[in-house]
Amino acid sequence: MHAESSSLLPEREQRATEQRADEPGWPSDRRGMTPVASTVSAAGLSRSWRSSTTRLLIIYGALFVVWSSVLIGVLHWETSKYLGAISDQILEQRARYLSTLDRQQLPAAMDASNAADLRGMMVYGVFTAEGQYVSGNLAYPPAELPADGRVHLLHSGIQRRGYDGGDEFHARALALQLPTGELMVLARSTNITERISQIIRQGLLWALSLTLIPGLIGGYLLSRGPLRRVRQFEAAVQPIMRGSLDRRLPVSDRRDELDLLASIVNNMLAELERLMGEVKGVCDSIAHDLRTPLTRLRAQLHRLQQQTAPEDGRAALIECCIDEVTALLARFAALLRISEMEDLRRRSGFGMVDMSAMMRDIHDLYAPLAEDKNVRFAIDIDPPPPLPGDRELLFEAISNLISNAIKFTPSGGNIRLQLRPCEGGAKLCVVDSGPGIPLDEREAVLQRFYRSDTALQLPGSGLGLSIVSAIVRLHGFRLEIGEGDDGGARVTLLCVPRDLSQPVAN
Amino acid sequence: MPKVLTIEDDAVTAREIIAELGSHGIEVEWVDNGRDGIIKAVGAPYDAITLDRILPGLDGLAIVTTMRQVGVETPVLMISALSDVDERVRGLRAGGDDYMTKPFAPDEMAARIEVLMRRRRTAGPVTELRVDDLELNLITRTARRGGLELELLPTEFRLLEFMMRNSGQVLTRMMIFETIWGLHFDPGTNLIDVHIGRLRKKIDRPGLPPLIRTVRGSGYMLADAR
Repeated sequence: MHAESSSLLPEREQRATEQRADEPGWPSDRRGMTPVASTVSAAGLSRSWRSSTTRLLIIYGALFVVWSSVLIGVLHWETSKYLGAISDQILEQRARYLSTLDRQQLPAAMDASNAADLRGMMVYGVFTAEGQYVSGNLAYPPAELPADGRVHLLHSGIQRRGYDGGDEFHARALALQLPTGELMVLARSTNITERISQIIRQGLLWALSLTLIPGLIGGYLLSRGPLRRVRQFEAAVQPIMRGSLDRRLPVSDRRDELDLLASIVNNMLAELERLMGEVKGVCDSIAHDLRTPLTRLRAQLHRLQQQTAPEDGRAALIECCIDEVTALLARFAALLRISEMEDLRRRSGFGMVDMSAMMRDIHDLYAPLAEDKNVRFAIDIDPPPPLPGDRELLFEAISNLISNAIKFTPSGGNIRLQLRPCEGGAKLCVVDSGPGIPLDEREAVLQRFYRSDTALQLPGSGLGLSIVSAIVRLHGFRLEIGEGDDGGARVTLLCVPRDLSQPVAN
Repeated sequence: MPKVLTIEDDAVTAREIIAELGSHGIEVEWVDNGRDGIIKAVGAPYDAITLDRILPGLDGLAIVTTMRQVGVETPVLMISALSDVDERVRGLRAGGDDYMTKPFAPDEMAARIEVLMRRRRTAGPVTELRVDDLELNLITRTARRGGLELELLPTEFRLLEFMMRNSGQVLTRMMIFETIWGLHFDPGTNLIDVHIGRLRKKIDRPGLPPLIRTVRGSGYMLADAR
């Protein structure tokens, strides 16, 4: 994208130049263009050329160049035609006059004409039929000029006699046969036409450079404003994406189209926030309201259990009921906990966490569980530096990962917990030899209550990974679910703290 | 008869506490506002106090802070409807000894109150713990049952120490997890059971009368086999 946009201008510039060069009688001259091209194609500005203002300006500039060239071309062509016609009339008139004169009077009439022609526009000459000079101020007869009495534009230059090797100049010329058999040549310099063309051309160059350079600079400056605002939007969107739905895009009091866009997005965000709040509120209040009666139910069952003798057949049933209610309560507690963490308010527990020590504690906590299931649980630590985080929450997140791994790894399998330092933090991997998580379920497992088909036979709420996900988001870390070497799940927790100096919460 | 002060503005919760602690042989005195609460807490000796975090009149945090400032060391179990994790930290920092969120399981609450009262009675340096023929030397960090040395891992030692210090009391899984690992999330029932199972295997070897008992629906208890 970068390379593409930086080459954009020179390319257009070239095209404009080519168009000019294609026109008739237009010298291929790029001098006027080079400074423009070098000003704007400087590296580092390339990004700004992507803005719509700049693009419009370049298109407009190119059109301007094309139309100016066409206009000037027409002007040039019309002027030369007119001047040519005048020149031809003068030549023909003079030739007619001279041809009526007596042969003897001719040199004198020519000299008289010459004397009157102060700017030296006209040259005359009389030559023998073989082309030998007889009289006049023309050095030699033009080679390709037919003696037909009509005016022709000479392709090669002619030379004035008397000037030592004087400059050749372009001319329109007329030749006719005198009754004596001699050749009379009249020529008129096209200097004026050329000079006028030059003036027009220079005018065009000045006009283009004076319009294009400030135009492009202005365009660049103009495009910077909107780009800066887009960057502001970008910065404002970051916290929103991280979950602070109460943030809004900045709106200036200019009330331009960007502000219009920003306020549309802001309205959308407000609606989104309201809906999210509503959903979360409903979820939370269900969980919250059901907790109290469930706790009472559990208490009553517990009392009933204490009043029932262990030998009574109903004792087992009561115990079953208590277990169910306890599981239900745990599920609600987990749900409320996720919701609490998603509020992103908990920051007081943050401190520097020694991940290596924590890994060992987690191993210590879960090794017996793995062993009971006949699963090998190994840790592999290359100590990273301490990380800012909430030890208890991180412990909970990693515990959940390990607990999941143990749950899904069949007897005889193995689990590896790996910790490595990495750029800006630490990288933690939990690899198991279980069935793995299918590609299409990897996103879904992080959602609340999602349980894969393989998990349906196992106890659990489907909230474990959602809790992990919430904790990871709170820390600004990243969770990746992939595949281990032997087909099991590989969950990678990339612990690279984002800038915590700014609180995410409101 | 041990005596507990309950400072709680919600009548339903208060009745629950009275009933549950009553069934454990604990007498409960109930006040429903912070002002009366602080007067009673500072004025009369209690074995423990259950304290609601949010009260009319005087806030629970303020009560416990004041109590500690005037040198009243009665153990306080803070009970709060605020489930926010930060609240626990705040409550414990203010001087609370333990923290529970509403709604709570009454048996868990009773177990916690008993542990608090017990901790107070046995305050002071202890070098050796003894339950039945099980001995735990806290200085040499060795454990013996019937004179035979037990090989315990550090975590197992801490777990056994906690259970022996509170012998004869029901310890819920949550209490064990909070005390031994210092964590407050729900680890799932299985995890603590496995750890207790390992300890049990080392202590209650086949043929010996079992010291660690499972209390149905609640947790575990280490007590004399007799």
